Amino acid sequence: MFQSLRNPNDERVQLTVNGELIEAFVGQSVWSVMALNDQSITRRAALSAEARSAYCAMGVCFECMVEIDGFPNQQACLRRVSKGMVVTTQDITEMTEASDACV
Amino acid sequence: MNADVLIIGGGIQGCATAYHLARQGASVVVLEKDYIARHASGVNAGGVRLLGRDMAEVPLSKASMEMWQTLSDDLGQDTGFRRQSMINIALDEADMETLRQRKAMMRCEGYTHERIISRDELREHLPHVNPDCVGGVTSDLDGYAIPYMATNAFRLAAERHGAQIVAGEEVLNLRRVGDSWLAQGTTTRFEADTVVNCAGAWADRIALMIGDNVPLSHAAPMLMITARMPHFAKPVVGAVSRQLSFKQFENGTVLIGGGAKGFADRANNRTRLDYSKLANAARTAVEFFPIMRRSAINRMWAGLEAYMPDNLPVIGPAVNATRAFHAFGFSAHGFQMGPVVGQVMADLVLNGQSSFVLDAFRIDRYDRKVL
Amino acid sequence: MPAFDCAIVGAGPAGMSAAIELAKRGARIAVLDRGRRAGGQIYRAVTDSPLPDTQVLGSDYTEGAALVAAFEQADATHFTQADVWHVGDDSRILFSRQGETHELHCREIVLCPGAMERPMPIPGWTLPGVMTAGSAQVMLKSDATVAEGAIFAGSGPLLYLIVAQYLRLGVPVAALVDTTPRSNYFDAAPMLPRALRRLPLLKKGLSLLREIRNAGVPFFRGASALQVLGDEHAIGLRFIAGGTSHEIGARTIFLHHGVQPNLNMTRAMDLEHQWNPEQLCWQVKSDAFGQTSVPHVSVAGDGAGIVGADGARAAGRLTALNILHRLGRLPRTDRDNAAAADLGALAAMAPFRAFIDRLYRPTKALRLPNVPTTLVCRCEEQSLAQLRAGFDQGARDPNALKMLTRCGMGPCQGRQCGHVLTELLSDWRGEPAEAVGYYRLRSPQRLLTLDELSRFHAVSAEAAE
Ligand SMILES: Cc1cc2nc3c(=O)[nH]c(=O)nc-3n(C[C@H](O)[C@H](O)[C@H](O)COP(=O)(O)OP(=O)(O)OC[C@H]3O[C@@H](n4cnc5c(N)ncnc54)[C@H](O)[C@@H]3O)c2cc1C
Ligand SMILES: Cc1cc2nc3c(=O)[nH]c(=O)nc-3n(C[C@H](O)[C@H](O)[C@H](O)COP(=O)(O)OP(=O)(O)OC[C@H]3O[C@@H](n4cnc5c(N)ncnc54)[C@H](O)[C@@H]3O)c2cc1C
Ligand code: FES
Repeated sequence: MFQSLRNPNDERVQLTVNGELIEAFVGQSVWSVMALNDQSITRRAALSAEARSAYCAMGVCFECMVEIDGFPNQQACLRRVSKGMVVTTQDITEMTEASDACV
Repeated sequence: MNADVLIIGGGIQGCATAYHLARQGASVVVLEKDYIARHASGVNAGGVRLLGRDMAEVPLSKASMEMWQTLSDDLGQDTGFRRQSMINIALDEADMETLRQRKAMMRCEGYTHERIISRDELREHLPHVNPDCVGGVTSDLDGYAIPYMATNAFRLAAERHGAQIVAGEEVLNLRRVGDSWLAQGTTTRFEADTVVNCAGAWADRIALMIGDNVPLSHAAPMLMITARMPHFAKPVVGAVSRQLSFKQFENGTVLIGGGAKGFADRANNRTRLDYSKLANAARTAVEFFPIMRRSAINRMWAGLEAYMPDNLPVIGPAVNATRAFHAFGFSAHGFQMGPVVGQVMADLVLNGQSSFVLDAFRIDRYDRKVL
Repeated sequence: MPAFDCAIVGAGPAGMSAAIELAKRGARIAVLDRGRRAGGQIYRAVTDSPLPDTQVLGSDYTEGAALVAAFEQADATHFTQADVWHVGDDSRILFSRQGETHELHCREIVLCPGAMERPMPIPGWTLPGVMTAGSAQVMLKSDATVAEGAIFAGSGPLLYLIVAQYLRLGVPVAALVDTTPRSNYFDAAPMLPRALRRLPLLKKGLSLLREIRNAGVPFFRGASALQVLGDEHAIGLRFIAGGTSHEIGARTIFLHHGVQPNLNMTRAMDLEHQWNPEQLCWQVKSDAFGQTSVPHVSVAGDGAGIVGADGARAAGRLTALNILHRLGRLPRTDRDNAAAADLGALAAMAPFRAFIDRLYRPTKALRLPNVPTTLVCRCEEQSLAQLRAGFDQGARDPNALKMLTRCGMGPCQGRQCGHVLTELLSDWRGEPAEAVGYYRLRSPQRLLTLDELSRFHAVSAEAAE
């Protein structure tokens, strides 16, 4: 289980992770916030669709790719949270079809 | 080492030529200075395109397109070919007018493989296209293949028929002595009755050794490939009047080209990219397909390609030597031509003639007639 | 467009030290790092730690604050949150910052991209819950996030350090599973006398181990045959130690067996590299001043070959002195006089480094996968068996195997599988790693959205100041 050792009085922001409204400390990495909130599946592997999660936390494995504000392939360990950010587990496999055309 | 035919260059033209010759019983050696498919043939955009070909190229390109449809089976090896059709998008009425003129010209020659499509049909095939686009033109047989796999498939099939592929051997010197061609490679000497020049961006140097001068230049077209994205475009996509070109592979990655050139350093086997031009290509792609704004580029690269002033290849016999033939200068669209070029070259070598009219591809078409 | 005299990529100990030295003698420099503050791996967040008390992290860490402060006072243009995705030998650097692409020009380039942890491809290493020990430290330093009841497995000083840091913070640890083989102690023993000249460092290491043992954490030595248990998520680790098989439950397993240079940037530039047979990794070829096969490109710190934080500081300063000389700001004799101390210090560190490298040399059984289904390439999901099949089809070189199997083509661009592949091919071919080579790499250094690329600006040195 992941735990935070931060001072609980530190300033916080709200964001959404997989539809859940979550409070996070300002400046925290997106990955940390996911880990602390039991949302550790960052992406599905592209061929097998197996669940994957952050491995290196320093930007060199690309396992932590999530979708942030509609942009896929964002490294959760390198991105910092911001107010109103929307984070979702990335689910792009070789089979995924684009949703209907947007204008 | 001795052979009937010595092929210089292990790209798709060299390997396809080796395959067609070996199949018919010739003893063949292919010399490649790096490794098979190291250059244009292994790193190109994989577009198997008949759409929009120069009139002079259409007969060859059409024949090649027929061959692609069953190539994996014929070679006994997957080329990665997928027939997905190709669409060139018309941005406005001026583009549509260009298409209508071309259609008239094509009809005069009796070609019917290109079909103009309306705005609605465009959107049906490419639902994510910018709604401002007004139509386009399509060719049904077109698609893509995986360059490295296709070139390697020719190589393996050639080897099965007894061709010898020698990688890491650069031809440094080539001379006609008596009835033989003597080639000095990096480590070995080769002797053959016939030589075929398939040396890609370096082919003018081999042509010179053979005795033919040719105004060949070289350049480094650039490509970028994205990480997998949800499938949004089945056909290969181009544009009538803009530098747009991309295809989404079955695995979801999108290969973006468009013809922008980097810097070619052929002496050192290197290319350098021009990133501001790639930024333009990115802008164009996003303009036509807003969905691509969010796609992520995984890798950028360029390949060394040979260009002729008229963007048409050289295919045919040498003019200043006997038993020597050329196939090079494909000007960024030679991958699709590989299968037919192999056959044409084998016919030239073995029978002295081809069923195709090759006048437009003569090596001496730029020779000065007057001083 | 006015150019910088020098651009430094990476603001860890190497980059910061180089910058301070260059700025001191008036060079116009730019420093780029993707972090919000300078510090690098070791001094991550040292000046703005989210932890209530940083003393628990140890004095090696807190002492970094002085270096960061000196760097921040130096006259350098520091581009923070600048993710460098291309460095060209034509002196152009492209980086992404706040969703836009910037291009800057410079006369000289210093690359200080640091190290990354050596991957450990054991069965189950791709399961959620399996991370590196370095990741535990990153989470702790930059986010004050810890994992309770985790297993730490592997070997090497960094592993023991993070366990000790956890214990000081009162974070429960399920077990320390040490994979250092007994034979390493014998192999390293002859190097001990020379290493003893660095007695304080040795003592520090030993005291860490004592600290862990005294805390009563289950401690297994000489462990082998590691296997992560679980289907959807890690639930434990199985291993053999002391002749018996053990199974310990945990939802977080931190692996570590050393670090290796972060190669992608130097490889993408086609700088010459060589295989370091002691450290079992590729490193850039460079001279004593970090100058590479491309004279205006230098490297310093762990990104140039593992030297540790003190080594990185010294290397950074040496690189700066040479560049000052190249810029015409420092005569050769002055350069050499100024360099003597750091050159001497690096030479003095070498025996200790060699001892540590040998003592904690990762075993082959952990460097290379043994089970056919274990993934080597995490991104494109290529297993040992699939790579072997590609090899048997004739793909004997890393690039050919990549073309055939897509191994190394994914988003990490070979960072995780590259070294493993070199060693596998070297085994299969029965040839040295040097003959096998490595992937041909290209830019960008990380996934780049078309949106970011299409917003393209040039940065001039004057505007930046
Ligand atoms: C980026 C890019 C994108 C492209 N996209 C497409 C596309 O989508 N569709 C399409 O149809 N075409 C495309 N092309 C063009 C196509 O790739 C080429 O026309 C085709 O591959 C040329 O094949 P080749 O065998 O003549 O040349 P190459 O593949 O270049 O092979 C020539 C070989 O000769 C070797 N050689 C040279 N000199 C010597 C010597 N002295 N001794 C020994 N060996 C020597 C070279 O090492 C080289 O491997 C593209 C090209 C590039 C670069
Ligand atoms: C995860 C990890 C934890 C470590 N912890 C410790 C420790 O606690 N104690 C210890 O003694 N040693 C530790 N080390 C070893 C330590 O990192 C090195 O000895 C030392 O930091 C090397 O310094 P450096 O300047 O060479 O590189 P680093 O300190 O690694 O600095 C490299 C810098 O480059 C930046 N960078 C890299 N690529 C890019 C890019 N493309 N764009 C922008 N910026 C980039 C990074 O953000 C980083 O700030 C650790 C190593 C790792 C990998
Ligand atoms: S966890 Fe490895 S890149 Fe983010």
